[in-house]
Amino acid sequence: MKTKLLIFLFLLIATSVFASCQYSSQGQNDPWTPQQLLAPADLAKVLNDPKAPQPLVFSIGMQAIIKGSIDIGPAMNAENLNTLKGKLNKLPKNTQIVVYCGCCPFSRCPNIRPAMELLKSMQFTNYQLLNLPQNVKVDWIDKDYPMNE
Amino acid sequence: MRILILSIALLLIVGTISAQSTGLEPGNKSPEIKLPNSKGDTVSLSSLKGKLVLIDFWGTWCAPCVAEQAELAKLYNKYKLSNFTNGKGFEIYGVSLDAKKSNWENFINTNKISWIQVSDLKFWRSPVAKTYNIQALPFNILMDGNGIILAKNLHGIDLEKGIARFLHK
Repeated sequence: MKTKLLIFLFLLIATSVFASCQYSSQGQNDPWTPQQLLAPADLAKVLNDPKAPQPLVFSIGMQAIIKGSIDIGPAMNAENLNTLKGKLNKLPKNTQIVVYCGCCPFSRCPNIRPAMELLKSMQFTNYQLLNLPQNVKVDWIDKDYPMNE
Repeated sequence: MRILILSIALLLIVGTISAQSTGLEPGNKSPEIKLPNSKGDTVSLSSLKGKLVLIDFWGTWCAPCVAEQAELAKLYNKYKLSNFTNGKGFEIYGVSLDAKKSNWENFINTNKISWIQVSDLKFWRSPVAKTYNIQALPFNILMDGNGIILAKNLHGIDLEKGIARFLHK
């Protein structure tokens, strides 16, 4: 009986691990560290607090959904990446910056990696990727976090 | 102790299942959709009453959705004039979650997509994404001539099997 229970628990844990890996936030070669992932709840809290210092939030995907975010367009497109570079060139290196896309699960998103690589290559010191591992609907809109009109 | 372990196990199972549920199940009526096509004319889902219909939620920014369009073209050409046990003819009602009209229109024209295509160009903010509780793309619904959901999220060989099983024999 004990063995059966142990096997059952092992299978259950294996299933849970598999399910959680479907929307993993961190791949082996991703150009960000776990510490650079910003929880949506944390950003929402800051955006909802007018007294809190506000980061510069860039949408580097299809649409600037998040309140106050600046629409750059998909960073996979060289022209849009240049637009982002132009805006970043005017900023001090320690500016608090957040980028997000949210089209697709992180593993498939074509936009987050070019943007994060650009920030790294430009030697910014205080930038984060909004942790939207599934997409901006599930991880932001469905939670009623603040949005642009 | 054993009861405690089993309770935790049950909670984990329920959590995993509910996280994957989309809320619309076979046997339910498919909610109405009324959206414009690329010419600006509104096409309603209910106007397809009487046909077997595949509602295909997609976007040009979604790589697996784009990859699936060639397969949809094959199925459309193969079955559009077929008779089904619960519908006469097969139609695809493509709902794009694109944000830019030019991307959507260019894709339709370049790939010569001949089935219905509609979009409100609101990306993930589209009200249909909420109505249909879409968690990820691609997503689809197969419904009968009365708008009743037959199956959801069928892809690849499962999609063709899902359509073919309703062929009139």
